[in-house]
Amino acid sequence: MGLIMKLSRLSLTLLVIPCLPVLSHAAELNLTSSTQYLWFQDFVADKQQNDIAQYLRLNVTKLDKAGKADFFAYGRATQMITSDDGLKGRLYYAYFSYRDAFNDHLDLRAGRTYVNSAATSGTIDGLFLQAKNLGPLGLTAYGGREVLFLNKEEVGSGNAMSGGSVSLDAPKSTHVEVSYGNKFRDGRMSRENVGLDYSTTPVDMFNTYGRLKYDTVSERFNELLFGAKLVPLTDLMLRVEYLETRPTFDNNSIYRIFEVDKYREINAAVEYQFTPDYRLNLKYAKEYFGEDADANVYDIGLTARPIKDLTFNGSYEKRDGFSGRLSGFRLNAGYDIAKAKIQAGIDYDDFTREDSRSDTATKYWTGVGYQFNKLIGLTARVEWDVNYRDSDSWQGFTAVNINY
Amino acid sequence: MLNKRVLKAMLLCGAILLLVAGLASAKTDHKEYKNSKLDDCKDCHNGAAIVGNHGGNREHRLLAQRASQNCADCHQQSFCLDCHKGGNLEVYKNKSLSSTGETMPTTHRSDFLSIHAIKAKDDPQNCYRCHEQRFCSDCHAKIPNRGGMRVKDHRAVGNTQVYFLNRASSPADNSRHAAEARRNLQSCEGCHPDAQVCSQCHTLTAGAKVFKSAH
Repeated sequence: MGLIMKLSRLSLTLLVIPCLPVLSHAAELNLTSSTQYLWFQDFVADKQQNDIAQYLRLNVTKLDKAGKADFFAYGRATQMITSDDGLKGRLYYAYFSYRDAFNDHLDLRAGRTYVNSAATSGTIDGLFLQAKNLGPLGLTAYGGREVLFLNKEEVGSGNAMSGGSVSLDAPKSTHVEVSYGNKFRDGRMSRENVGLDYSTTPVDMFNTYGRLKYDTVSERFNELLFGAKLVPLTDLMLRVEYLETRPTFDNNSIYRIFEVDKYREINAAVEYQFTPDYRLNLKYAKEYFGEDADANVYDIGLTARPIKDLTFNGSYEKRDGFSGRLSGFRLNAGYDIAKAKIQAGIDYDDFTREDSRSDTATKYWTGVGYQFNKLIGLTARVEWDVNYRDSDSWQGFTAVNINY
Repeated sequence: MLNKRVLKAMLLCGAILLLVAGLASAKTDHKEYKNSKLDDCKDCHNGAAIVGNHGGNREHRLLAQRASQNCADCHQQSFCLDCHKGGNLEVYKNKSLSSTGETMPTTHRSDFLSIHAIKAKDDPQNCYRCHEQRFCSDCHAKIPNRGGMRVKDHRAVGNTQVYFLNRASSPADNSRHAAEARRNLQSCEGCHPDAQVCSQCHTLTAGAKVFKSAH
């Protein structure tokens, strides 16, 4: 009874908030719900667990006559049946949105929302502003309480984050953006980053992009990315990338005093589309971990649609070097029959963890979705795992999906 | 000091570029293409700017983080969060469940618990884009020595572990200990947030780069 009450309360809260202004105006409502029963292998508890999960997404649009005000919310409640864990929930977002204010120059979101920039990203309870239609210029600013999710629920409180960005979309096909972001923990600034992103396509067949992210607390770059793409033929793309990352720590972490190694990677990739139904991709990456430790990663993949409604994906990955060796393939196919969509696949990996063990891991899975009508559908997935921990393990879910 | 100069140069470059007046490229509303097949995108995007499925793994990150991004023309925030924060509103049939019953992105192949020690090395920072640092210690603190799942180099040697050096440790052990710590320090912090385990041998002084040249 307690569980039902709590679920009802969560659903009711999501529904009632946006309905207040609706009383005086005919807004549009879209409700997406998925009620799921899951079973899975809990490695820590060393037993099979069962969960019930309720997802709910609510879009209430055109709250005002001009159609500029909307409300969006998305959350999840989970209850583990096979243990004493109580009801857990995540409210991913719940915000009012107002678009095109001040003569189409400002969009704003107020409430819980996801924010994203090169300098920092995350979920906040606060305000996000975006200035637009300023010629080639773009501006964003955000700030609020930082929301952290862990173990199916929200954790932590009292942290804050803020930031913003200035971007320039000029000259033609060029984007340059400078962003700033910080995070506060226990009343002190724990992180402060400055980011620079760029992308430019000087000629139609060539594009280059990159990112620099600087941590002002550690006084170090913690991310450098440079990439270039060449499209010599309509269906052929060549790409090279250089990536360098380095861990940085909070201002109040004792780990700041330790020296750390950079991770560096150079990779090259080719993508070719033989026909709209057949695509091939190849990738090679050389990874460097410092102290003469490195690794090679090879990847090849094929996507095919031999007949209408049948899609096939296959890939092979091989890795050797520091930290371990891995060789494995993934195969999966999907077929649509009237209102049903069927998918099935196999993952297989033969691996050796450095200083640990060698083994294989295989996963066989299949999933079916059936849409009864526009309103309601069913989905089910079953997975059979054969690996180091379990020689015969099953997991999966069934879901009732409603889209109103 | 050098880094401060680089930072100032970076900010200056950004500021200069922002001051450059240019032709504004009009942002195209993509809402009407929302249900198009990816192949149809090539009717317009046939060059190097954006090709294929939104430009690949690392490039999509840059596109999504643009101030002028138009992701919302086709996607809601739930689309991002279902991959990055373990949701499954869209009920993907090809996504597996984690050991805690949350939906994992398809990058988490075969038995990810078994191979995560290898896959996490392909850019260690990548894990932290979705996972809090405590995510690691949530498991490792509870099962430090079960079967072969213990953290690398926490294996027992005599009456101690490989990571704990002592008088019997060889120069090779010493070198390995330092190298591993430099490569995996963030994962160390996950289980040992106050570094007490380090301070048993090292003198830790806040504000000083004590290990910059010590190893």
